[in-house]
Amino acid sequence: MLDTLLPILIAASLALAVIGAWRRVRLWRQGRSAPVDLLKGLAAMPRRYLVDLHHVVARDKVMSNTHVATAGGFVAAAVLMVLVHGLGLAQGVLGWALLAASATMFAGSCFVARRRRNPPARLSKGPWMRLPKSLMAFSLSIFAITLPAVGLLPEDFGSWILALALCTVLVWGLGEMVFGMTWGGPMKHAFAGALHLAFHRRAERFSTKGGEGNRSTGLKALNLDDRDAPLGVETPSDFTWNQLLGFDACVQCGRCEAVCPAFAAGQPLNPKKLIQDMVVGMAGGSDAHYAGSPYPGKPVGEHEGSADGPIVAREGKALVDADTLWSCTTCRACVEECPMMIEHVDAIVDMRRFLTLEHGNTPNKGAEVLDNLIATDNPGGFDPGARMHWAADLELPLMRDLQQAEVLLWLGDGAYDMRNQRTLRSLVKVLRAADVDFAVLGDEERDSGDVARRLGDEATFQSLAKRNIATLSKYRFKRIVTCDPHSFHVLGNEYGELGGDYEVRHHSTFIAELYDAGRLHFKPWKGGSVTYHDPCYLGRYNGEFEAPRNVLRALGIEVAEMERSGFRSRCCGGGGGAPITDIPGKQRIPDMRMGDVRETGAELVAVGCPQCTAMLEGVVDASAEVRDIAELVADALIAAPASTGERSQTQEAQAAEVL
Amino acid sequence: MSEILRRDPRKEWIARNRLHPQHLEVLAELGGGAASEWVGPNGLVRRNPHVVGFMGPNGLKRIDRSGVQQGAGGGGAAKAATQSKPLVEIESPAFLVAVVPDMAGGRLTGHDRDLLGLARQLADADPAAPGAVLAVIFGEHKEDGFAEAGIDRLLHLDGPDVEGFAPEARLGALVAAEEAWTPRHWLIPDSKLGGADLGRRLAARLGERPATGVWQIEASAEADLGWSCTARGAAGTLDIQRSLPRFALALAECAEPVSDTRHAASELTLPQALPAQLSRIEDLGQVAVDPAGVALSEAEFILSAGNGVRDWDGFHHAAEVLGATEGASRVAVDDGFMARNRQVGATGTWVTARVYVAVGISGAIQHLQGIQSCDKVVAINMDPGCDMIKRADLAVIGDSAKVLEALVALVEQAREEKRNAA
Amino acid sequence: MTVLVSVGRHPVTGRSRRADQDARGVELARTLPGAEIGLLHAGRLDEGNEAALRGYLGMGFDALTLIEQPESSDALPALAEALKAAPPQLVIAGERAEQGEGSGLLPYLLAERLGWPLVSGLAAVEEVSGGVATVLQALPRGQRRRLKVRLPAIVTVDAAAPAPRQSAFGPAQRGRLEVSEAPVAADVEMAEWQFKPARKRPKRLKIVKAASARDRFKAAAAKAEGGGGQVLTDVTAEQGAAAVYKLLKEEGVLR
Ligand SMILES: Cc1cc2nc3c(=O)[nH]c(=O)nc-3n(C[C@H](O)[C@H](O)[C@H](O)COP(=O)(O)OP(=O)(O)OC[C@H]3O[C@@H](n4cnc5c(N)ncnc54)[C@H](O)[C@@H]3O)c2cc1C
Ligand code: SF4
Ligand code: SF4
Repeated sequence: MLDTLLPILIAASLALAVIGAWRRVRLWRQGRSAPVDLLKGLAAMPRRYLVDLHHVVARDKVMSNTHVATAGGFVAAAVLMVLVHGLGLAQGVLGWALLAASATMFAGSCFVARRRRNPPARLSKGPWMRLPKSLMAFSLSIFAITLPAVGLLPEDFGSWILALALCTVLVWGLGEMVFGMTWGGPMKHAFAGALHLAFHRRAERFSTKGGEGNRSTGLKALNLDDRDAPLGVETPSDFTWNQLLGFDACVQCGRCEAVCPAFAAGQPLNPKKLIQDMVVGMAGGSDAHYAGSPYPGKPVGEHEGSADGPIVAREGKALVDADTLWSCTTCRACVEECPMMIEHVDAIVDMRRFLTLEHGNTPNKGAEVLDNLIATDNPGGFDPGARMHWAADLELPLMRDLQQAEVLLWLGDGAYDMRNQRTLRSLVKVLRAADVDFAVLGDEERDSGDVARRLGDEATFQSLAKRNIATLSKYRFKRIVTCDPHSFHVLGNEYGELGGDYEVRHHSTFIAELYDAGRLHFKPWKGGSVTYHDPCYLGRYNGEFEAPRNVLRALGIEVAEMERSGFRSRCCGGGGGAPITDIPGKQRIPDMRMGDVRETGAELVAVGCPQCTAMLEGVVDASAEVRDIAELVADALIAAPASTGERSQTQEAQAAEVL
Repeated sequence: MSEILRRDPRKEWIARNRLHPQHLEVLAELGGGAASEWVGPNGLVRRNPHVVGFMGPNGLKRIDRSGVQQGAGGGGAAKAATQSKPLVEIESPAFLVAVVPDMAGGRLTGHDRDLLGLARQLADADPAAPGAVLAVIFGEHKEDGFAEAGIDRLLHLDGPDVEGFAPEARLGALVAAEEAWTPRHWLIPDSKLGGADLGRRLAARLGERPATGVWQIEASAEADLGWSCTARGAAGTLDIQRSLPRFALALAECAEPVSDTRHAASELTLPQALPAQLSRIEDLGQVAVDPAGVALSEAEFILSAGNGVRDWDGFHHAAEVLGATEGASRVAVDDGFMARNRQVGATGTWVTARVYVAVGISGAIQHLQGIQSCDKVVAINMDPGCDMIKRADLAVIGDSAKVLEALVALVEQAREEKRNAA
Repeated sequence: MTVLVSVGRHPVTGRSRRADQDARGVELARTLPGAEIGLLHAGRLDEGNEAALRGYLGMGFDALTLIEQPESSDALPALAEALKAAPPQLVIAGERAEQGEGSGLLPYLLAERLGWPLVSGLAAVEEVSGGVATVLQALPRGQRRRLKVRLPAIVTVDAAAPAPRQSAFGPAQRGRLEVSEAPVAADVEMAEWQFKPARKRPKRLKIVKAASARDRFKAAAAKAEGGGGQVLTDVTAEQGAAAVYKLLKEEGVLR
């Protein structure tokens, strides 16, 4: 009886899976078109899965092994099942292989089950709680029905009742694992995830045989010249189809939720929920079935949407509330952690673009800052002619006078901020001490456009960027050095698309290079213990984790690392215009970060970003002093040991004049 | 008073005996109002150093020997001074300079006085042919210093028609004045208190182009009326140099107020009664606005609380007694003590208050940004080294609760005294 | 209703932009439920002006009527004709322009010409019904006065009126500028004036007309006392409060 029933069951489930797949593909195809090389993507998919995805998954060893066993076992078992039971090729090694595969899968599913016994808060419950059982049902039933096929049990072992019971379990297993994979359910992630890897919007993120992928963190430009092109994303179907596909790949593992600073601060954002809401919107319906942590302060079940309905309502509720989108600091912690390589920040900025460019609804001080950027080229609304007032006594060389220099020092809007001016002065002192041939743009510099872009105002970003590019094109320089990681990121990663390609260095990188080249000399560190805070836009955005630490080491400082440092660094709360939109939460992100600092017992926290400095210094009753790396370096400068002679003495004298 | 000195030995004795219960009374009597001074037994003027003087800049008591600051009779002294100002009477003026003061609260405002000063400049320029200053005022008033402010003629229009916001009725009256006397100049304060509105109405009605935002005038031979003026234009970003037209709306401090002379301030009446007007604007009266609830951006006087405030009831009470609008630092807002719309600073409101009292606020740069355009900043703080102290015009180092409490007591005491006096 | 809008000028950089008060006027109009709002501008059309005018469209309008006029012409006749041709119930204008003379006369002249009542310095329009508008006029210190005005009327807005909503790029780009022509009246008088960037006005010195040297000395001493940056350390709460009280009194903020 099983002989006849099994092929039918398998064929039926496969047929249903095809229908399910067709339906899912149709859901994704609601999105906008996107240029993707389908075949190349499919060809690259296995490598992307095995190398890049597992690189992320492997940060959690147990989970990684569990997944290898379960997923590997399942893929093998599914293929073999079709061969053995569907096509009746039970002879010889195939049957044994199927037994082995389903046994492995079962072992894996036991680990899955163990994890589900007391799941951490970040994991979604609901249907996900039945997944281990489904996995077991599938693996066990396959195992059992294969036993007779390889002759370990007699063909007619047991009664028909047993056979029927087995079939029922198998139907459950097949339903979840084969049909559910495409129609919907926890296993959907496998189907969508595989295709998502193949057709990912940022193919350059993945490694190839040629080498590592890059971080690919720059936002993609909107085409503003095309009057008909939508400005950002209004409805789920305004995402590109491969973005929608990406949302569908989410496994609701909640790793993003666990690292999201806004979520931790009690602001109404949870990246996992946001991705799930996009999935809900794509298919249409309400979020009532979502079984994970909600947006803090927003009960589940009150929002609904559809593929062509608005994501954010002008008034009232739709799929997502605007303050959810405006809570994000664009720190990319979620993207960094997501095993499915989902691009949360792209999606959030896409939706913000619509809110700003079409609704004109940038909250709080957002509108004012954007107006300032438009009218004065800086977010504070200061006189562009006053940009260099802080340096009146420094006689900084101007590009306008020199026309060329080895290094173009990009000052950033910190030039208007008294606190950051101290950092800039220190940096100038360091550059002079190392005898660097540098010049500044002076009043010709404008805001890089970072804040405008993250606030969704692509038009102002492009206007600023194009004018900056035009200015930069007038002069000759080898590289740009800046102490603002946001400018660094935008100049280095986002101006390219608009025609500005530059070699950009963060000042910590540049100082490290100068030190290695023997052009800087430091006296030994005498202060107390020091920790280092990785700025998101330097670390996660640009992969620079080492240079700042090298500089600190060169200063004789041993960094007392915070638990969350390096690529896992916790945001200071200052990115993405978050301090401007200032969405209330339960606590402040910088306060949490200062808490991290306190845990290390450090008396000083070294930073490399004006924004981080401002945020961390804004913490009341902080336990540690905040200093920029440039300041620490400038304080430690000494003349070169005697052998290098007089030259550096004069440099030192020069440098002394600076401060 | 007779010129002969009559002496009363008993009183003189009491005056010399500082411990006598009637000492002060007698002193006051003998000193003609100035308890610090009296005529001694042999006709010499005596001074009591204990009741004179004022607190000097460094907290030491200073005695002023000029005679101005004597005794309790300050008002009397001031009166005496005005009496001594020469009275200038212009019987038959060559022309009139009309001024329409705002009279906010029934009194001449500082702005009004500046305009009157400007009017005098115009009127007195040619001593051979002096002009007279005509002031047109509306409604009830409490002013008794018209003469000292430089007004020769006063047209006082009263009645229910012109009370409150009655631009149409007032305009009618001004037009009647124009017809009756055709002043050579019309000067009206360019102020939110009413002048800016009324002046523009008048010029528009009479079809004459006024100069607005005038802040300076100079004699000029080329100009029709003999004067040129400098006026603010383009929302205060331009200075426009032009000849002074008949109608000018002038800014505060456009001239020095009159201080040396007294004028007749003789009342005029319009030759004809004003025609009844059908007003298309109805004044439903002022709306009660709680000072604490005034929008921060509009508030003139802000009492702002930070992390250094512990006694919140005391703080709210103080704001109420002082009649101040409440502000807060972000910490006070974050901690839930103040509403979010009360936050002052970079991510809150940028305020323009004339007086900003920061109670227990350290003065983080983000907070200071928000009070950039405040005129006077007062800090009450425990920490003499904090940045708010550096910004403040007056800083009191001490516990916020205690200082506020004392301040409230002072204000209440002063009010009490005023009530008793009235 | 119609909102008169002009091309503003940023106070720091002088770049053209939507004028703040006019934008408040637009916002005021938008707060009225069901109002049919038209935007009207008379002036020159060039690149800078267009960007500024589109700023108003970005507040959510499909079109703006632009009566083309050369620079330094008098906009009054053109606007008056346009309003006469299609009289709205309510005309909203800013209190003064950010460019040129900025005298704030235009609404008054318009009202005079059209024979309509005018109310200045509004913070809010509470209700428009039955040919009458109930409005709140802004008074200093955040105070308000409620007025009723017969329609049609012209009103001007105060800085206390609600802040204008953000101008969104999309609608600003898509909106139409409906250009129309009108006879031009040159502003002859203005051509004779001299324009200069505003000078800082000297702070008024307290001139002391003192009869004697002693008075002058006293005044000088008193001034030093009030000088800025005074820090009172080691004082009792009462002494500190007294100093604060004195300042509050001097500034006249206590009533
Ligand atoms: C991006 C960003 C934006 C910000 N925006 C704003 C903003 O818009 N507005 C704002 O206010 N802040 C803002 N901040 C926060 C700002 O940096 C400060 O943290 C905040 O202003 C400090 O508030 P505070 O002065 O009340 O508290 P504290 O810094 O804790 O100061 C309390 C003060 O009270 C004094 N004090 C303590 N006890 C007493 C007592 N009993 N009597 C008298 N004095 C006492 C102390 O000496 C101290 O000076 C922002 C910060 C960031 C990073
Ligand atoms: S980018 Fe940072 S703040 Fe934004 S959702 Fe991701 S983790 Fe949260
Ligand atoms: S978005 Fe990524 S990290 Fe977040 S729950 Fe989904 S799969 Fe996990």
